[in-house]
Amino acid sequence: MLEGNIILMILVFFPFAMGLISWLTGRGSKKGRDVLIIVTTAIELALCLVLIPFVGDSNDFHWHAFAGLGIHLRGDGFRTVMALIAGYIWLFTTILSPEYFNRIKSRNRNRYYMFMLWTLGATMGIFLSANLYTTFIFFEVMSFTSYVLVIHNETPKVIDASKSYVAFAVFGGLATLMGLFFLQARLGTLEMDAMIHAIETTGVSDVTLMWSCALVLVGFGVKAGMFPLHTWLPQSYPAAPEPATALLSAVLSKAGIFGMFVLTGQILLHNLPWGLALVLFGIASALLGGIMGILSDDFKKTIACSSMSQIGFIIVGVGMQGVLGHHNALAVRGSILHLLNHSLIKLTLFMVAAVIFMNLGKFKLNDIKGFGRKKPALMFAAGFAILGVIGVPLWNGYVSKTLIHESMVEFIEMSHGTGWAYGFKSLEILFIIAGGMTCCYMLKLFFAVFVEKNNDPAKQAEFDANKKYMSPALTTILIISAAILPVLGVIPNITSDGIADVAQGFLHGHSPEHAVHYFSWVNISGTLKSLAGGVAAYLIIVRLGMRRKQADGKKAYINAWPEKLDLEGKVYRPALLTILPFIGAFIARSLASVVDWFVLFFKQILFYKRGERFSPPENNEFGTFNEEQRPSKLPHGLSYSLILFGIGVVVVVYFIVIAFLAQH
Amino acid sequence: MPFLLLIPVFFPIAMGLALLALNFKERAQRQIYVSIVIIANMVMSIVFMLTLPRTTFTLVRFTDKLSISFKLDGLSIVFGMIVSILWVVATFYSFEYMKHEGKENKFFSFFTMSFGVVCGIAFSANLITMYLFYELLTVATLPLVMHAMDKRASSAGKKYVAFSITGASFGFIAIMILMNFGASLDFTYGGVLTNMALLTGHEPIVQIGYICAFFGFGVKAAIFPFYNWLPSAGVAPTPVSALLHAVAVVNAGIFAITRVIYYCFGADFLSGTWAQYLTMFMAIVTIVFGSSMALRENHIKRRLAYSTVSNLSYMLFSLTIMTPEGMVGGLAHMLFHSVLKITLFFVAGAIIYKTGREYVDQLEGFGRSMPKTMIAFSICSMGLIGIPPLMGITSKWLISKAAVESQIPLAIVGIAALIVSALLTTLYLFEIIIKAYFPAKSKEELAEANMDVKDPNGLMTIPMLGLTAFSVLFGIWPDPFIKIFELISYGAF
Repeated sequence: MLEGNIILMILVFFPFAMGLISWLTGRGSKKGRDVLIIVTTAIELALCLVLIPFVGDSNDFHWHAFAGLGIHLRGDGFRTVMALIAGYIWLFTTILSPEYFNRIKSRNRNRYYMFMLWTLGATMGIFLSANLYTTFIFFEVMSFTSYVLVIHNETPKVIDASKSYVAFAVFGGLATLMGLFFLQARLGTLEMDAMIHAIETTGVSDVTLMWSCALVLVGFGVKAGMFPLHTWLPQSYPAAPEPATALLSAVLSKAGIFGMFVLTGQILLHNLPWGLALVLFGIASALLGGIMGILSDDFKKTIACSSMSQIGFIIVGVGMQGVLGHHNALAVRGSILHLLNHSLIKLTLFMVAAVIFMNLGKFKLNDIKGFGRKKPALMFAAGFAILGVIGVPLWNGYVSKTLIHESMVEFIEMSHGTGWAYGFKSLEILFIIAGGMTCCYMLKLFFAVFVEKNNDPAKQAEFDANKKYMSPALTTILIISAAILPVLGVIPNITSDGIADVAQGFLHGHSPEHAVHYFSWVNISGTLKSLAGGVAAYLIIVRLGMRRKQADGKKAYINAWPEKLDLEGKVYRPALLTILPFIGAFIARSLASVVDWFVLFFKQILFYKRGERFSPPENNEFGTFNEEQRPSKLPHGLSYSLILFGIGVVVVVYFIVIAFLAQH
Repeated sequence: MPFLLLIPVFFPIAMGLALLALNFKERAQRQIYVSIVIIANMVMSIVFMLTLPRTTFTLVRFTDKLSISFKLDGLSIVFGMIVSILWVVATFYSFEYMKHEGKENKFFSFFTMSFGVVCGIAFSANLITMYLFYELLTVATLPLVMHAMDKRASSAGKKYVAFSITGASFGFIAIMILMNFGASLDFTYGGVLTNMALLTGHEPIVQIGYICAFFGFGVKAAIFPFYNWLPSAGVAPTPVSALLHAVAVVNAGIFAITRVIYYCFGADFLSGTWAQYLTMFMAIVTIVFGSSMALRENHIKRRLAYSTVSNLSYMLFSLTIMTPEGMVGGLAHMLFHSVLKITLFFVAGAIIYKTGREYVDQLEGFGRSMPKTMIAFSICSMGLIGIPPLMGITSKWLISKAAVESQIPLAIVGIAALIVSALLTTLYLFEIIIKAYFPAKSKEELAEANMDVKDPNGLMTIPMLGLTAFSVLFGIWPDPFIKIFELISYGAF
């Protein structure tokens, strides 16, 4: 029943077992549990490292007949990279968690850790999956276990946010399931590396494939926060405790990207319309996330929106793989690297957010303004992460954004002179604008927290005196997580390209003919333009537009996002909670009324002499024909009985005649 | 020695009647008596099912086509196994539960008799025998539904009888039609309409016969528009709702329709006709209708009852696909739904038994107060929703696979209905889970409100948790069942 590399199975199921054990341990000893979870995640990361020597297409694990179709895991280059990212981020957030939850005196920690470890197992299951059914199983498990992480704080606002989290997760999961039904039925397989072959042999039409894949994409798009399925994201990310947000943003959203990689690289390979659609959705996410990030006055929400925006960039890269067809080396490598970089950067940023929250308990920029002054370690970490995410040369974000941008430029050159070139030229400009927005909102955060002084001098003095704002252990991991970022950016031809070489096989990518000159003037000047735009936007929008004079003459940040622009509150929730139920209730009521009418009709005929009749209250809840309010209007008496008798006789005679005729 | 098959059928009936006469004074005596009878009967029925030869035993022969006879085949073994095993579990559960309902002697005698009647349905060799026991089942379970004997219970009982008897009379019409045009009434894989000389030219009337049979026997499977008795029957004591209205009676309806489609009329004769589409359409309507009604129902047991209405139609939908794959899906969902729904009803019963609360919004914070009960509820709910790798996903996968492969356009609509229903199922079950684990009230308010809320004792929790464990185990590893169902559906077992 089980066959193949057992490490793959352990990677997936070990955290599930340890989740239960940690829960039991935590009922006895809180200290013991805190150690146990860190050890567990450390072992998990070590196992990912052990996997490296086995990397290859035959590094498989099968568990036949698991939940019907069986699960199939594989440890090839790309999947091992994904597993390593997950293991690394999980270890760091787990080291952070005990300290964080101690400081904010959170309840239900035992529950949190159990579901946190289960989510780890499920995430590993997704990243190592070699067929889509396995992906789906663990995707659903992950959606529901991470729900407990999101709802952890249990305040009314959090509960509301987690409702939209779970609603989107369920909706997406079901859409994916339906898509998988069709793929399985049309192709006869859900094995990822058998699908392209199956498409050729079965001769499925592109249209069928596309709408099946579009259904599957809904589930993955939800997790990735892709426009227009993003509305849960700006609510749920800020609602979750920071260690969980770090996981959501850095790892769980990548499960959605993983799914898009499968669809784009294993099923709809080199498909132009599909790629174009993804590029458009990606650009929309990048822009919308950027705008929301700029206009927010909340530290955590800004980073959350930044996640949406950066994932938009990744989706653009995924889409460009399809658009470019066989020449998609840059897009493949760019999207893989941007996925990696975004995970590493967001880990650092959310750890910084956790440090701020466990000291202040707040995230509004006006409250935390000036907190980071005279705190070199925190400033170092946040600064490096910000330099990474806005794509300053020598940091990692620059490498991947350049690759994605170059892939767009490449397509513009390839299709020179046609309408496509003009279309993509405008998309490229939007891409650059979105990059500038990243710069703008990150500058806003950095200046507010680390440069400006708080409006209240007493508070600022308090901030400056706070030297024990985080433990040495936390300081260490924070600095490590930040220091990795330039390693990937300073020598990209060795580090980043190396990772891309290992991983690109999954997407049928290949190395470009000659090494990319990341630091050529063309690339740097493009980035500088984008950054200059971002700085200008910061000066104009944030400095002038988002700060209002208070009564004391000092300026405070305002939330500039128009609250009326609420896609979920204005469209999704009314549709789901008012319009659809109304239609459903109308149809159900009509159907039930028809039945009720018959029941009532026969009752009035059979029990026409109304004695005392009892009708339980629940009977009158739904039907239209409320029997208590409608006494029989039929006449009572002998003549009425005779009429009924006559009808009966006619029916019987008719039946006999018919039967007689049928016999002869 | 095929006559041994009579024992599991008539032994409990006799013992149940004897219990009425014995009328034990001591509760312990009765419990010993009932558990011996039920366990003995389970052991016997399982042993006989596994060892007896597949030959027909005729008890009474009226004419060459009409006889009361019994025979084993794969389908009867599946149904018999589900019922026998769950009957024992439910018996132990009801020992504890019935303490607060009273009139235990009457209850357990009819409870025991029903076991025999259901075995009779499972083992019958032809349509007329099944019809006999089908009617008997209505009669035997009526006292259980009307157990409380107040106005509501008797109103529900009347409704139950009216619906069931009316349905059965439609079934009778179908039997007559089948007797005229079929080669025999014996259950034969592939159908009995083999005599083309009789059949030719009379296809429409035979199809009408199928419609009559489907809706007639479908009353017990709560097909729209004959679903109404099932939620009303929720006034019965919870073990009855759990065992009869989630497993035995309703599955008898599914079982009968499987017999009608695959063993009487034959899938080949029906598939592609208007009759197939009509029945499939009604199943699709019921799927969505049941789920929506469950969502707006606030009473726990009635919510679960409507959920049963919807889930039974998953099976009917799968059966009306009329391919062997469709039958596999239907049987798989019959098994999985039985296990999950009986557990959910046990939980509802435990809540009612311990706290007297019957409405969903009274369950705030129960996750802390009744941990074992609510764990069972949460896991089984997720199984029913179809969250992998728990139980429900496999059967839904099989049903949808059969639907896609049948290439009937209406079946694609059915898949969409399954998806919509899964969404509604999530809403109506997760509402309870969220209330239980993430209450809106503060800790102090809850401590006061749930002061006396505790898990029930082992007689109730062990059945619940045992079935939950079973559902998890065989959700992850459903293969043995699926293999058997495949053998049955292709006529090889």
